Amino acid sequence: MRPFLSVETMSVGYGTTTVLDKLDLGIHKGEFVALLGSSGCGKTTLLRTIAGFTKPYSGSIRVADRDVTQMPPDKRGMALVFQSYALWPHMTVAQNIGYGLKLQRQSRENIDARVNEMQNLLGLAGLGDRKPGQLSGGQRQRVALGRALAIDPEILLLDEPLSNLDARIRLTVRHEIRSLQKRLGITAIHVTHDREEAMVMADRIIIMNAGRIEQEGSPEDVYNKPASPFVAAFMGAENLLSMQARVHGEQVELMEGSFNPSIVTALAGRTLATGPIELRFRAEAARLARSEDKTVLQPGTLELRGQVTSVSYPGGHWRHAIRLGENEILVDADTPFNQGETVRVCIPAKSLFMFNLVEGLADARSD
Amino acid sequence: MQTRFLALLLVLPALIVIVLFFIVPLFASILGAFEVGDSFGLGNFSKSFDLYSRDMIFTVVIVSISTVLIGLLSIAIGGYLTLGENPRSVAILRWLYRWPMFIPFIVVGQVLRTFLAKNGLMNNILVSLGILTPLQTTGFLDWRGIVIAFVWKQTPFVTLLVAGAMASLDRSTIEAARNLGASRLRILIEIVVPQISGTLLVGLILSFVTMMSVLSVPLMINAQSPTMLTADIAFRINAHGDYGVANALGVISLLLTAGVALIYLRQTMKDRL
Repeated sequence: MRPFLSVETMSVGYGTTTVLDKLDLGIHKGEFVALLGSSGCGKTTLLRTIAGFTKPYSGSIRVADRDVTQMPPDKRGMALVFQSYALWPHMTVAQNIGYGLKLQRQSRENIDARVNEMQNLLGLAGLGDRKPGQLSGGQRQRVALGRALAIDPEILLLDEPLSNLDARIRLTVRHEIRSLQKRLGITAIHVTHDREEAMVMADRIIIMNAGRIEQEGSPEDVYNKPASPFVAAFMGAENLLSMQARVHGEQVELMEGSFNPSIVTALAGRTLATGPIELRFRAEAARLARSEDKTVLQPGTLELRGQVTSVSYPGGHWRHAIRLGENEILVDADTPFNQGETVRVCIPAKSLFMFNLVEGLADARSD
Repeated sequence: MQTRFLALLLVLPALIVIVLFFIVPLFASILGAFEVGDSFGLGNFSKSFDLYSRDMIFTVVIVSISTVLIGLLSIAIGGYLTLGENPRSVAILRWLYRWPMFIPFIVVGQVLRTFLAKNGLMNNILVSLGILTPLQTTGFLDWRGIVIAFVWKQTPFVTLLVAGAMASLDRSTIEAARNLGASRLRILIEIVVPQISGTLLVGLILSFVTMMSVLSVPLMINAQSPTMLTADIAFRINAHGDYGVANALGVISLLLTAGVALIYLRQTMKDRL
């Protein structure tokens, strides 16, 4: 099936700096896609280029087999919700929502009916005569959404629409936007730097780094099968260790180091070659045990020995910083261990993310 | 008690300057407007209205027309600077538009006098281009000349304020309108200007007050009757030594500008509520 919206070998930049280089992307009708990445990775540039506010150097953008690359923003069947909401302060809520319809020269009755419909849909009933300055952050956000949806776009573009809301409202608005998108069956592209937000809202996550797509897939896929060290780190596997690996057929052996005995585990779909690797895992994936605890581990479980240097309680579980020579890792446990205590850190094979070290990139990626 | 004394001491120099050089002369000239011979009365005012009521209307009409034209032009220039899509012409316009601001009114009057006269540069060019014959030429050295001088001189100032306010607008409010299909003209009129109307109003009121007080332009361009109140005040003093009527005319122009200032105050109060 051909994607509904496709971006083909598109390069975009400002002046002499290229932000996106020969990027390809396909999005299906009705899909909710999150563009996830840290600031400066090009995700907003990609969204603005799709919306038509930035002209690409080369490549094309197609919507349902229409080439829209050279079209002005309003002819593309897309509506953008801005990070700052960009509501017009001199117009009332109803005028803001109805402006797009007024531009389409619709009749006054049509506009009023559609504005009412939008206000009811978004829980803004009775606020039509207020100015944006008299609304709360969440209400403004919904007006911005209503203004975009009023013109009945085929594609809804969301540029970090939740980043100006306080944390508690953000959680509910996430679900509101997601269920609205499902109900309307609209195609949506959502730019965000918040991993959890992307996971909760999107059907598919596209992780971007330095103008390239690092990985795309369902939230489960990118979380459990990160394709690169960057994705692993971005998806929360912040603990980083360097090791030597030796691949025999479908098995990989992690060589004995100063803090760990050697283990053998299945490759299980990982692409690895013999040599130095970087190993990543999440703080919550590891289990802590006392050094005298002699419980037999499942085969393939990596065991590390280290000293607890600090303990904190972020809520729900205890977080331990554990020193392994030069390195320090974070591990969660249900009960606290003592500072200075020597502990065993056990990480099941499926939670180990292993990547071959690429010369020169190791430093750049360790952030 | 001591700190209060110190505070008073700190304010005192500024206060003395204001009282001595501003409030005292102002009250003296207001009082002077009511002095007829040795007693007080409205004689100077009735004389002012008898002699100069046409000039009062002339002044208000000229300054109002100029203000409207300045507003329109500064919106057009500021709008092009903000919404223009050709970077080169925007840069050229940005460089060009400020120049008249640095030219004194008297020079503006002088330049335009030679430019707009019946045998001036403008008509010479038009004749040599074959657009007009020498017989069709007319001089612009009347109310039109004053309006042209005012607009030419004051537009850059208001544009500077307006363009600055437009540049500091949240650009996404403009992009949001473009996203919904608004043309640039509609964006200017419906999105940009309403958001900077406060700044525009301030610029126009300051221009209005400035134009009310310019003497050199009416003297250079149009010294015959009807002329502006400033020229009349100068004439009363220089030709007749008639401070009474001059003061009365001064009070009348003060009232005219005060009316405009009142609009300004009401607007700023409304914005704050």
